[in-house]
Amino acid sequence: MNKFMEILENSLLPIAEKLNNNRYLAALRDGFMVALPLIIFGSIFVVIANLPFLDKVLSEDSLASYQNALGPASSATLSIMGLFVIIGIGYKLTQHYGLEAIYGAVVAVASFLILNPQQLDEVTGVIPTAILGAQGMFLGIFTAFISAELYRFFVKKNWTIKMPPGVPDSVSRSFSALIPITLTLTIFLIIRILFSFTSFDTVQNFIYTIIQQPLTSLGSSLPATIVVVLLIQLFWFFGLHGQIIMNSVLDPIWYALNDENLSAFQAGSELPNVITKQFMDTFLVGMGGTGMTLGVVILIFLIGKSRQTKELGKLGGPSGIFNVNEPIIFGLPIIMNPLALIPWLLAPVVVTIITYVSMSIGLVPKPAGIIVPWTTPIGISGFLATGNSWRGAALQIVNLLVVMIIWWPFLKVLDKNYYETEKEATKAA
Amino acid sequence: MKRILLACSSGMSTSLLVSKMKDAAAEKGIEAEIWAVAQDKAVTDMAKADVLLIGPQMRFLKKKLSADAEKAGIPLDVIDPVAYGRIDGAKVLNTALELIEKNK
Repeated sequence: MNKFMEILENSLLPIAEKLNNNRYLAALRDGFMVALPLIIFGSIFVVIANLPFLDKVLSEDSLASYQNALGPASSATLSIMGLFVIIGIGYKLTQHYGLEAIYGAVVAVASFLILNPQQLDEVTGVIPTAILGAQGMFLGIFTAFISAELYRFFVKKNWTIKMPPGVPDSVSRSFSALIPITLTLTIFLIIRILFSFTSFDTVQNFIYTIIQQPLTSLGSSLPATIVVVLLIQLFWFFGLHGQIIMNSVLDPIWYALNDENLSAFQAGSELPNVITKQFMDTFLVGMGGTGMTLGVVILIFLIGKSRQTKELGKLGGPSGIFNVNEPIIFGLPIIMNPLALIPWLLAPVVVTIITYVSMSIGLVPKPAGIIVPWTTPIGISGFLATGNSWRGAALQIVNLLVVMIIWWPFLKVLDKNYYETEKEATKAA
Repeated sequence: MKRILLACSSGMSTSLLVSKMKDAAAEKGIEAEIWAVAQDKAVTDMAKADVLLIGPQMRFLKKKLSADAEKAGIPLDVIDPVAYGRIDGAKVLNTALELIEKNK
């Protein structure tokens, strides 16, 4: 068993290293980090605009004007989050190369806009906001990567206009960026023109059909989600931060799915996706942290006899309410603990299935596309994520009970072992 | 004055440890500045620190950060998982002080 675990850990660590240190995935992760405060700002106002019982207190007209007044908050942030992700990626990747990062950011935005349709139906001179949200997410990410790379390539080629000494630094810098930016954007313009001769018409359309749609529909399926959940749990079992490792790959998919739901939610139509960013954050992490260990903490208080588990409950309980559970993971311990492995892997999968099914059959509303910070306590997060529905909170409580039932026998044995050891130790003393 | 930097994914779980380490330092009468950051800020904050400790769940960062730490001239290590689980501030503080001492 030990040998097997060692082999597994030795193969997981390099994967974690590669995924976390890959410069594109790092830029992607940082790009989403840049967008996050804006996304949360927008989410807050979606929540306020859709408070429950408003429709009972306000007339239809005043409700509409209330929602219209708050609308810009989310349409300027949450709905066009792709734009901020592009800026973030372009900036961070260029910064990684030690170049003037702001040029990387603007070049990424301009390249992306060049590739997109600049008309909506018959109206020209507009940029459809849909492409700045979910629809353009993948194209935006690729464009940001490629434009930053091209920009770097041309800067390194040193075909820059050299200013004589004595020219102020900022002036010469703006000129030094001129040639790389011109060349980079020209390439994107050529790509755009080439695509206009294909049946896809725009690059946006091409990436969306060929890459984004297949990937998001794969990512929104239950089997794929279970695989991802198991991988995250497995990484954590070896004490490696599973989300940091997996999310950099999956965030684009989950956020795109999230945004599709948001548009539908705001339009008042049927929500298309069950699996979204919020599904993962609220219904898996949002119950005491990875592996939903709030259930374990409660069990410790209910049945814990040994000093070790009781101490741990007191130590890890408070932060567990805010879904920070490293004390439990490392302290129980869950890592490398054969007794914890089964409930650790099983509980999240069961909860995933319960949540997926209850949302699919309409028992509980699907996530409304609102981004709730993952540190939001259980109950509140479920309520907010499902568009202010008490059923979202109730589902979390049901899931919590399921987690407790799954853990019960295993924690009992674990606790008994500790208890016996402690008794032996006091006897020996 | 000892300056101890901790890093994890978002600086949340290490900040639990930070408060315990501060308590331990105060008890021992050691003047120390201890703070936690998210991994992406670790490199910039290194300049202000005497030692960097990484949460065990982020130990895959060690290789990458080692190069930066060497440049900054500070030692770096992964926090012992058992001490991390117990939020054992005193123990981690000792590790940090030992690393600083050895680096002199």
